[in-house]
Amino acid sequence: MAYNPITALILFFVFSALLYVLFRPVKGWFWIFKKNVSSNEKIIIEDILKQLYHFENSGNKVDMKTLVQVLDFNNNRIVEAIKKMTINDLIYFESDVLKLTESGREYALRIVRVHRLWERYLADRTGFSKTEWHDRAELMEHQLSHDETEKLAAHLGNPKYDPHGDPIPTKTGKIAKVKGVELPLLSVNTVGRITHIEDEPEVIYKQILAENIHIGSLLRVIENNTTRIVFESEGEEFKLAPIVAANLTVAPIEKEVVLEDNIARLSGLKENETAKIIGISKESRGESRRRLLDLGFVKGADITIDLLNPLGEPHAYLIKGTSIALRKNQAAKILIKKN
Amino acid sequence: MNHKNIDNIIELSNELRWQIGDDFHDNLTESIYADAADIVKDSVQIENSQRRFRLDARIDKIVTSKTFGFPIMFLILGIVLWLTIIGANYPSSLLADILLDTIHPSLKSGAASIQMPWWLSGFLIDGVYLAVAWVIAVMLPPMAIFFPMFTLLEDFGYLPRVAFNLDNLFKKSGAHGKQALTMSMGFGCNAAGVVATRIIDSPRERLIAIITNNFSLCNGRWPTQILIATIFIGALVPSAVSSLAALLAVIGIALLGMVFMFAVSWVLSKTVLKGEVSTFNLELPPYRPPRFWKTIYTSLIDRTLIVLWRAVVFAAPAGAVIWLISNIYIGNESIAAWAIHSFDGFGFILGLNGVILLAYIVAIPANEIVIPTILMLTVLVTGISAGSGAGVMFELDSVNATADILKAGGWTLLTAINLMLFSLLHNPCSTTIYTIYKETKSIKWTVFASVMPVVLGFIVTFLVAQFWRLLA
Repeated sequence: MAYNPITALILFFVFSALLYVLFRPVKGWFWIFKKNVSSNEKIIIEDILKQLYHFENSGNKVDMKTLVQVLDFNNNRIVEAIKKMTINDLIYFESDVLKLTESGREYALRIVRVHRLWERYLADRTGFSKTEWHDRAELMEHQLSHDETEKLAAHLGNPKYDPHGDPIPTKTGKIAKVKGVELPLLSVNTVGRITHIEDEPEVIYKQILAENIHIGSLLRVIENNTTRIVFESEGEEFKLAPIVAANLTVAPIEKEVVLEDNIARLSGLKENETAKIIGISKESRGESRRRLLDLGFVKGADITIDLLNPLGEPHAYLIKGTSIALRKNQAAKILIKKN
Repeated sequence: MNHKNIDNIIELSNELRWQIGDDFHDNLTESIYADAADIVKDSVQIENSQRRFRLDARIDKIVTSKTFGFPIMFLILGIVLWLTIIGANYPSSLLADILLDTIHPSLKSGAASIQMPWWLSGFLIDGVYLAVAWVIAVMLPPMAIFFPMFTLLEDFGYLPRVAFNLDNLFKKSGAHGKQALTMSMGFGCNAAGVVATRIIDSPRERLIAIITNNFSLCNGRWPTQILIATIFIGALVPSAVSSLAALLAVIGIALLGMVFMFAVSWVLSKTVLKGEVSTFNLELPPYRPPRFWKTIYTSLIDRTLIVLWRAVVFAAPAGAVIWLISNIYIGNESIAAWAIHSFDGFGFILGLNGVILLAYIVAIPANEIVIPTILMLTVLVTGISAGSGAGVMFELDSVNATADILKAGGWTLLTAINLMLFSLLHNPCSTTIYTIYKETKSIKWTVFASVMPVVLGFIVTFLVAQFWRLLA
């Protein structure tokens, strides 16, 4: 074929488009193909068990129809898997409601354990963003063997909760309780601590992340009605729609604990103000948290703004005689009490 | 002890761990830190730091202010680069006079007088010696000027303020403010820039800085850019402004490199590197008078000489290869001519030619020898009379004579522009590749950092060539 710039360009763009269609993240044909090949019976069975476990835990009943709707697999393969699971005594039918047997429940707990451990691992030891934790754990929960899971748990120090505040079942199937109720159930002026942030559905979770709400924060409800819920936490005011707020679990705190009024985030500190550090939020994890402690961001340390940045961030803070620059999202995770 | 006892103990420990709760480790660490802070407060007295501190604060207010911060920064970077490029000219030409124009001919005549076989003297003197001499002459003076100045600024405490000012820009592309420093260091030498990424302590941002450092136009590439811009871009405009046009073209290429640096950083942090741990913090140390002699000494020893030594080690075999491919014949063509002809087709599609591609392959060890190699190979394949024979790299004092050779080799304005682009976007030199491996200890990232820029270079020159031919 004779050379001609137009043909060359067309060839180039066709080739690039092909590469894009095949390999673009998540939706690329190559990845979809790979996922379909690897979604074998084991994965379907484990996903069914997990769904049943979650439904039963929230007190809902599941029949075949709902199950098929929730799962993202070929219907025939689901029916096939259910047959096999009944034979292996993992589930049984009570009229048309599906139920877990004792051994099915045990199996489901193991899957949940791996899922939450892996989320914990992603949170503490890697840099993946919060929105990716869930999907990555969904893949990993089918891959880790029993021994690998135990090694991972030991490596992470046998954590009790995953980064969203969900309890991680122990090896023996014991589960800690999440204290608290959904935020919309609290009355005005209740003081509580956020103990759990639900990460499904993703749309709502993303909204919570965008609001910069941190797990472990103390809050006080200011307004609670059918259109919105307003609460104050760490010196800032948050307004949420009830459907979003329902994904936050808050444990009310007894009357005796006095909520210190002027707790704020370091990001809210103004020039020429001085403050004392109260602590670092639980949202700051792993390596970042250790680095902050190393630099002297510990309870009781005095802090002021040393330099404002010409481009808005990071500001430099004067702590223990040293000037340290922190970005806004880090400063938001350090709690202070203004003097 | 029997098994049952051990099991009981493990059971008990699990039970206790359960009761202590998740916050135990954190609380323990925090209280240790807090206790240590209390002890320090009670037992360490700080005296007289107030006055010095005020001076520091005043300097900081100026160099990070909205009005003066950025002008001061650009002024200082401009001065450093200007001093390097202009200041290096004199010692460079002196070294070239001695090493290339005096020692090289006398070595040749010395070899002739002891009747050394032509192939041995060619291999050793025209190949190995010439490449090494060239690298030293071009590389040593700018590095010996650039690195000490840079280190003095670092020692004084100014550079962390630059990182502080620029961090927001770099944050947007997922990188660390200190990458501004490693990038500037890359203008001196990419290998040194890669070493300098040690100041970035966050693993993800450090990898980004290492992989994108190659987009800083290094010392070895400035002369190529300036020469080609002078010949081809300068010729487009009236001669009164031709040197200005050439200068702007080179600055444009350097800025384009920064654009690529930001863009590639952004893509990397969103794709292949998103799982790496990222932590940020930036300490702004107090200013102090730079320790002049110590700085000069360490920057010469630690940065300049180490980098130079690595370059020499890699340049010597490259010189040998260049001489060999030009002098070993397969059939009635030398390996070089054969390779050039087979690269010509691919080179044409990229708006380059076989000579340029071959020169970039054999000059992987040092960008400094790209132009001499191109000239020698062009003479070799066109058969015009210039230079001193097959495999002997040369450069001409006259820009016009150089232009004549290149034009005889079929160069057009498109070739020149694409050469400038390709000089910016191609694999790092072997010294840098080796340094990347030493710093990352990862073959995967080394290969990625080496191949990614050259693929980018192919794509960019390809697109430029096609659109050029469509529109011209």
